[in-house]
Amino acid sequence: MKKAKKNRGISELKSRYGYLFTTHWIIGIIIFFALPLIQSVIFSFSKIEIVGGGINMDFIGTENYRQILFADANYENWLSSSITSYLYSLPIIILLSMSLALILNQNFRGRLFFRALYFLPVIISTGAVINLIFRTTSNDMSNIGVSDAYSANMISVDDIVRLLDIQGEAAKYITVTISKIFDLVWSCGIQIVLFLAGLQSVPSSFYEASRVEGATKWEEFWFITFPMLSRVTVLVMIFTMVELITSERTTLIRNVYSMMRTGNYDETSAMIWFYFLICGGIMAVIVFLFNRFVTKRYE
Amino acid sequence: MKNIINSFSKTDDRNIRKLKKKSLGILYSVFRLVILLSIGFIIIYPLIYTIVTSLQSKYAFLNSTRVWIPTEFAISENYRAAFDAMEYLQSFWSTFKNELISAGIEIMSCAIAAYGLARFDFKLKKLYTAILFLTILVPEMMIMIPRMLNYSHLDFFGILGLFNKITGVDIRPNIIDTSLAFWLPSLFGVGLRAGILIYIYIQFFKGLPKELEEAAWVDGAGPFKTFLTIALPSSGVVILTVTVFSMIWHWNDSLLSGMYLSNSFPLARQIARLPETLGSKYHIILSARDPQGIGYLMAGCVLFVVPMLIVYMIIQHWFIESIDRVGITG
Repeated sequence: MKKAKKNRGISELKSRYGYLFTTHWIIGIIIFFALPLIQSVIFSFSKIEIVGGGINMDFIGTENYRQILFADANYENWLSSSITSYLYSLPIIILLSMSLALILNQNFRGRLFFRALYFLPVIISTGAVINLIFRTTSNDMSNIGVSDAYSANMISVDDIVRLLDIQGEAAKYITVTISKIFDLVWSCGIQIVLFLAGLQSVPSSFYEASRVEGATKWEEFWFITFPMLSRVTVLVMIFTMVELITSERTTLIRNVYSMMRTGNYDETSAMIWFYFLICGGIMAVIVFLFNRFVTKRYE
Repeated sequence: MKNIINSFSKTDDRNIRKLKKKSLGILYSVFRLVILLSIGFIIIYPLIYTIVTSLQSKYAFLNSTRVWIPTEFAISENYRAAFDAMEYLQSFWSTFKNELISAGIEIMSCAIAAYGLARFDFKLKKLYTAILFLTILVPEMMIMIPRMLNYSHLDFFGILGLFNKITGVDIRPNIIDTSLAFWLPSLFGVGLRAGILIYIYIQFFKGLPKELEEAAWVDGAGPFKTFLTIALPSSGVVILTVTVFSMIWHWNDSLLSGMYLSNSFPLARQIARLPETLGSKYHIILSARDPQGIGYLMAGCVLFVVPMLIVYMIIQHWFIESIDRVGITG
């Protein structure tokens, strides 16, 4: 009886320490996260004028949303191009980073060198500098005319697609993928890191057992590696989606951001909220389906 | 006789199988090398291009035979122009003061919050974890504007605003254009991408053996002492990973610094607006047909990337090793 009481005392104490350790964080969440989030919802339903240092707000209901969806000719274009590029890139980035992580996880000579090389995008690719570099690289490649002369004699991607007799959407997908290959490979940095960390956490005894049973590498991947990676895959998917949605290389974000800097806060809030609700919806569906059909099956 | 033939064919069979396996292995390593090299090329190509371009003058662009080996050097001209246009030393100081210090603060405050979430059970833990995931999902962009507006009259739960209403004296501080705009969120563990950092910490702390900490408890050490003397010293690996991520993200952040600072830009902001600066300073209109500015621009990019690259080269050995041991993903 006495012991139980004592135990409860300890667990109560521990829970108090739990609150103690997270106090500063929850204060920060309220001031710097929850409050601004609510404000930005309110902004999207108001008309905002900047007066002196402060702002004047009038509630106007869904006027902003009606404005951007029906009156603004640009918004729908930005939206559709951003969302298609997001849906295009996601599966490729996941597949590419997973296979690269699988390769980098093997034992071979020069593995440390390649790992160092493949982690390089982690350093650079989140910054504005990569936009400049890519823009200049591709400009120089196509416009200055140096490489035109060479590339005229070479087989282009279009030719290969035609040669292989791939038609319709599949052909477009391949062409777009190859023309964006720099962008895609450079978006894989942190994903490779995450997958590698996930691969390291698979107990090696599983592989030993399967080798005794005489499983092939192919079976090993589908029955051990992939199931063990499924939770990491969800994390990587979420991370990649957030990255893709908020990347400054996205048409919509770039335009909205430049509009924001001119002081347009109400319509841009509506634009961003609408965009994120759609993207968040797609994200939720993808993650739900993946969980339902992949992760759950193995658990 | 029959037996001998049989045994011959058997050994032959085994040898052939062995040979087949071996050649398949070699074929696979060649294939692997080709894949690694070709994707490695995609990664390294823009970097080499940037460096080569930053070394040469505009006349080199007229020479259509040059591709990789720079011919007409203009190193000092390019780098001096970029250095001046970016106001490099000033911007570097601004990056250090605003971004890197707030990265340092963030690393510590996130560790504390993560320890609380990983080690102790309390009623609201589920809610807190849900909030944590929300902070990872909601992009910085969405809360940036209201945050900026709040910063001009920073308030803590309306207390200072109430004080203002009663006495008429406005003591709500304006922290726009000061380093506090970066330090305060980091101090409260909600800085740049703090959610992901906390998540990484939590996964690691959960994997630490509890016994040591419990022994410290029995010996009468308080929770903070246990955290500082037991948990932190054994988590060097995860601290390194988090430090690398946080430093990189802060170094590269041009979005927030563009919003919160109107003068004394950090480097990331300077590099984002370098085309405009070059245009107004040297009257260059950047286009592919006019190669004058490209050398300057690429020199600016090199100047921006080099400090991080040096840091990466120093720590990459530990960083790559540490990835094996962090177990970020539980």
